[in-house]
Amino acid sequence: MSEEKISRRGMIKKPVYINRRLVRYYWDRLKKNKLSLAGLGFIVFLALLGIFGPFLAADPQHVDFDIKNLPPLGFSTQESIYDIKTNTFATTVNPGRPDHPLGTDSKGRDMLSMLISGSRISLLVGLLATGIALFLGTFLGVLSAYLGGWADNLLMRFTDVMMTFPFFLLLVLIVFIFGPSLTIIVIVIGLTGWTGAARLIRSEALSLRTRDFITASKALGASDNRIIFNHLIPNVASLIIVMATLSIPGVIMAEAALSFIGMGDPMSTSWGTILNTGQHSLDTAWWVAVEPGIMLFLTVLSFNFFGDGLRDAFDPKASV
Amino acid sequence: MRNYIIKRLIYSIIIAWGILTITFILLRVGPTSPVDRYILNIAARGQDVESVKQAIEARYGLNKPITEQYFSYMANLLQGNWGWSFSASMPVLELIGSHWIYSFQLILLATIFAIILGVGLGMLAAVKQNTKFDYAASIFSFIGISIPGFWLGLMLILVFAVYLGVFKTYYDTNYPIWSLENLKQLILPVMALGIGELAGYVRYTRSAMLDNLRKEFVTTARAKGLPERTVIGKHVLRNAILPLVTIIMFDLGSVVFGGAYLTEIVFGIPGLGQVSFNAIFANDYAVVVAVTLIGTFLVLFINLATDLLYTYLDPRIRYE
Repeated sequence: MSEEKISRRGMIKKPVYINRRLVRYYWDRLKKNKLSLAGLGFIVFLALLGIFGPFLAADPQHVDFDIKNLPPLGFSTQESIYDIKTNTFATTVNPGRPDHPLGTDSKGRDMLSMLISGSRISLLVGLLATGIALFLGTFLGVLSAYLGGWADNLLMRFTDVMMTFPFFLLLVLIVFIFGPSLTIIVIVIGLTGWTGAARLIRSEALSLRTRDFITASKALGASDNRIIFNHLIPNVASLIIVMATLSIPGVIMAEAALSFIGMGDPMSTSWGTILNTGQHSLDTAWWVAVEPGIMLFLTVLSFNFFGDGLRDAFDPKASV
Repeated sequence: MRNYIIKRLIYSIIIAWGILTITFILLRVGPTSPVDRYILNIAARGQDVESVKQAIEARYGLNKPITEQYFSYMANLLQGNWGWSFSASMPVLELIGSHWIYSFQLILLATIFAIILGVGLGMLAAVKQNTKFDYAASIFSFIGISIPGFWLGLMLILVFAVYLGVFKTYYDTNYPIWSLENLKQLILPVMALGIGELAGYVRYTRSAMLDNLRKEFVTTARAKGLPERTVIGKHVLRNAILPLVTIIMFDLGSVVFGGAYLTEIVFGIPGLGQVSFNAIFANDYAVVVAVTLIGTFLVLFINLATDLLYTYLDPRIRYE
C-alpha cells in the first residue's frame, strides 16, 4: 500500500503515467490469477497469429473445388456414389489431409488459413473500434464531469439517446447504406460504443473532482488542461484499461454477427464470414461452422478472464 | 411521484423522436431508394426505367425534398398512420401486427427460462459457496457469457437437429402459436437466446446473495432459530432482489435489440427481427423506422417500469 502512495505522489511530477514500480505492483497482483494469465496467454498467441500468420499461411480466398469439404485431420467423410452399371453404391472414404489440417470449406478454401486471417480481422476490428470508442468516451466523460452545468446536462442527455439506440440495427443499417467495408464497420462500432465508458468515466471523474489534490492543484493555479490531463485522466487510466479489455469481446462478437448475416467486408475473411458459409453446410461439413466458433468463443473467454483479473489487480480493495 | 412519471414520459417521447429522426434521415439520405426493387423488374421487361421510377416516386411523395417528406411522415404518424411497406405491399401496421407475436413469444420464453434457472442456480451456488457445485456454476456462467448466442444456436441445430434428428432443422409456421408443436420447436431457440442471459443471472444472483448472507440481520435470523429455508428464502433472497431487477431489466432491453434478432435469423423465425432485416435490405424505410420506434419505446418503457418497481421493492426509494 505504501509503495502505491509513493508512486502516486511521484506521478504528479511525471507527466507520463508509466511508472515502473506501479506497473510491477499490478503485474504481481495479476500473476496470482491463473485464469487471467491463461487469458493473456491466448490473447498473445492470437496476436502473434494475426500479425505473422497470414505471411506463412496459404491464401485464405483461394478456391479449389477439387478439394471441397475435406474434413479436418483425424476425421473422415463417406461419400456414396450410385454406380448405374453394377447397380450398387460405391462408397469412398475421404480422410483428412495433412496439407489441410483443419479441413476445407464448400469451395475448397483452406480452413486453417481462413481462421488465421480471421484472427487478424477480429483483433484489428476489436482494438481499433474499442480504441475509438474509449477515446471518445474518456474525452466526453471527463469533459462532461469537468464542465458541469448545462454542458454536462446536454452531453448526458445525448448519451441517453445513444444508449437507447438499437445498436445492432443501427450497425446493419449504416453498413447497408455505406457499403460493407471494414473501415465503415470499425467507425460505426467506435462511434456508437462510447456511451457506457462516457458514463462510467464521468461518474468517476465527478468523485475525483472534489478530492483535495485537485482542489490543491487549482489553488496552486493549475490550468484546466493541466488538471484534466495530469490529474483526472491518469486517475481513471486503470478504469479505462479494464473497460477496454472487457469491451473488446463485445466488438469482436458484433463484427462476427454482422459478417455472419452476410454484411461483412467481402474482401476479407473473418470468423463471421466463415460461419456464414458453415451455416449452409451444417449437414455436409460440420467443421466449417464449428472451428471459427471455437476461436470466437476462446477469444471472448480470454478477454473476459483477462479483464476480470485486471479489474481485481487494479482494485486496491480486492484481495487477490 | 405523478410529476416524476409525467416528466419521464415526456423525456421518453423526446428520446424516441430523436431516434426516429436519425433513422429516417439515415435511410432517406442513403444512395438507394425503396423503388429500386420495382425498377429491377421493369428494367428486365425492357420498359422505360426512368419514367416508371418517377411515376412511383411521385405517387408516394418520394421526390419531394427530404424535409417535406419528414414532416408528412411525422404528420401521418401522429394520426396513427404508420406508412406503407414497399417490400411487403401492405400497411406497415398490418405487417408488424402479423409478425410481432413470434418475437414476443421467443423473448418471453427465453426470459422466463433464464430467470428461473439463473436465479435458482445462483442461489444454490451462494448457499454452497466454495463447494464443487459453486465452482461448476461459476465455470458454467463464464462459458455462457462468452459463447456467442448465434453460434450456440448453430451448434444446437447441428447436434440436435442435423445429427440426432430430435428437432426439425427449419421453423414451421403452420402450427398455431401456443400449440405444443410450436413450443417444442422453440426449445432450441429459447436455449440459444437464454443461456447467455442465464449465465449472467447466475453470477449476479450469487454475488448479491453472498453480499447479504454476511449481513447481521441474517445472523440474527439464524440466532432466533429460524429454519435455514426461511433465512435464505425470506431474509437473504428478498434483499438480493433489488440489484437483480436492474440487471434483468437492463438485459431485457439488449435481448429485444440484439440477441433475439440474431436468434430469429439463425432459426428462421419470422419475427420482427427478420422483418426489420428484410426491410433494411429492401430500403423499406417506413418499416425500419416503425420497428426501431417500437423497440425504442419498449426499452424506454422497461427502464421506467424498472425505476417504478424499485419504489415497490424498496419503499425507502422515493422519486421527486
